[in-house]
Amino acid sequence: MNVARRVLSSFNHPPLTNLTSKTCSRTYAFKSDLKIKWVRPEKIPCIRPEKSGDLEPMSQIDLSQPRMMFRNSKELETADETVKKLFSLEYAPRKEVARVYFEEIKDVVRRHPMDAGSIEVKIARWTGIIRAYQELMERFPRDKRMKVILKELIDRRKKHLKYLRRWDYKKFEWLLETLNLVYKPPPNEFHWITRKESLQKLTDKYCEDLKQERLDTYRKMLQAEQPIFLKEKIRALQFIRSEQQECGVEVTVTDEEIEKVKNQLQELEEKKQSESDDS
Amino acid sequence: MSLQAAAQTTILLGRCVPCLKHNASKFKIKRLELDTNLLMYFGKEEYVYAHDPQKMCKTGDVVLIEQLPKKMTRLITHAVKKVVYPLGDITDPMTGKKVVSGKYRDHIEAVNKVYGKKEGAFKYEEAPPRGWQEDKKDFTHAETYIKYHESEKDDPYAV
Repeated sequence: MNVARRVLSSFNHPPLTNLTSKTCSRTYAFKSDLKIKWVRPEKIPCIRPEKSGDLEPMSQIDLSQPRMMFRNSKELETADETVKKLFSLEYAPRKEVARVYFEEIKDVVRRHPMDAGSIEVKIARWTGIIRAYQELMERFPRDKRMKVILKELIDRRKKHLKYLRRWDYKKFEWLLETLNLVYKPPPNEFHWITRKESLQKLTDKYCEDLKQERLDTYRKMLQAEQPIFLKEKIRALQFIRSEQQECGVEVTVTDEEIEKVKNQLQELEEKKQSESDDS
Repeated sequence: MSLQAAAQTTILLGRCVPCLKHNASKFKIKRLELDTNLLMYFGKEEYVYAHDPQKMCKTGDVVLIEQLPKKMTRLITHAVKKVVYPLGDITDPMTGKKVVSGKYRDHIEAVNKVYGKKEGAFKYEEAPPRGWQEDKKDFTHAETYIKYHESEKDDPYAV
């Protein structure tokens, strides 16, 4: 233990020594000497994909296909190219294109062709609307009405994902994978981000890292000493054994003991060899 | 007072909560405590660590834990005995069938069969066991925190 303390304290680390010398005269408005720079995280609006958990934006729709309501039209099939083009999504309002996207995203998770109300279809529908609205919000950032609807949709989807996780974990994971969503649980308690508290946390982390680093170097040092110690142990055991045999006293050191230490040494060397080969 | 009550009981039923320890899981145990002024019982939660070397308890599971004859460490006082209800994979104890919220899985499957199943729909038989999305898209196995520092490294548990 004493050796450990000596070795650990022998590391010269300027910031920490400064800190320890300062702790004696620690007063009101104490300032740490550690060079920790705190950067306040930028506020991300709740409607952005980073916060809502959408990993992909609204996918590109093939604009050459006909509009939804003319899908099954016999006349359109026999019409000429210009008419077909006029009735395609290219000349349709954005609403129509988005509707096709909603149908596509719902089709991926549907249980059966008539499924419109199962939990996975509901979540897929909301996901489609959310992604379409997120794209629109980029273009019209001052549209407050849309912003409110979008936020409510994101929250509702999160709530239902929470329920689905509780009811059916396997389906929950599958849905996250197919819709490319991320689910993060809310933190336990809310608090405002302050400079003081953040710096305290960063300092704690810094000290933890420093402690771990020193322990690792100490462990490495001890491991480097192991072969020398084992060689010395073998020599000493052999010497004691031969002395005891010569003097005719009861022999307390057995051959197995020496053999065991030798094996230990061999294992250590093999391990070292394999590690150096790897690196 | 309630801590003493929990200490006296050898077998407890708890719900697993996120915990970063390698060989132990953390459990939330809810007990009713009598308020002598109001003569009413109020729920009180306490947290217990149980030895779990294989980490078979996942967050949210309802687990039976047993008190160790001797404390293992300062924190670990119990050992995991049995996972009673894994989260989101409930089996009805009466019929032995799997349940999703208020319905049997078989009944849902039967309805789907009548309409005609779709190709890309979710299949229970082919689904991998829970945990394959851990740290990828599902971050419920650890506690999240409010982001307090803008570092170059990405912190997935920051909200």
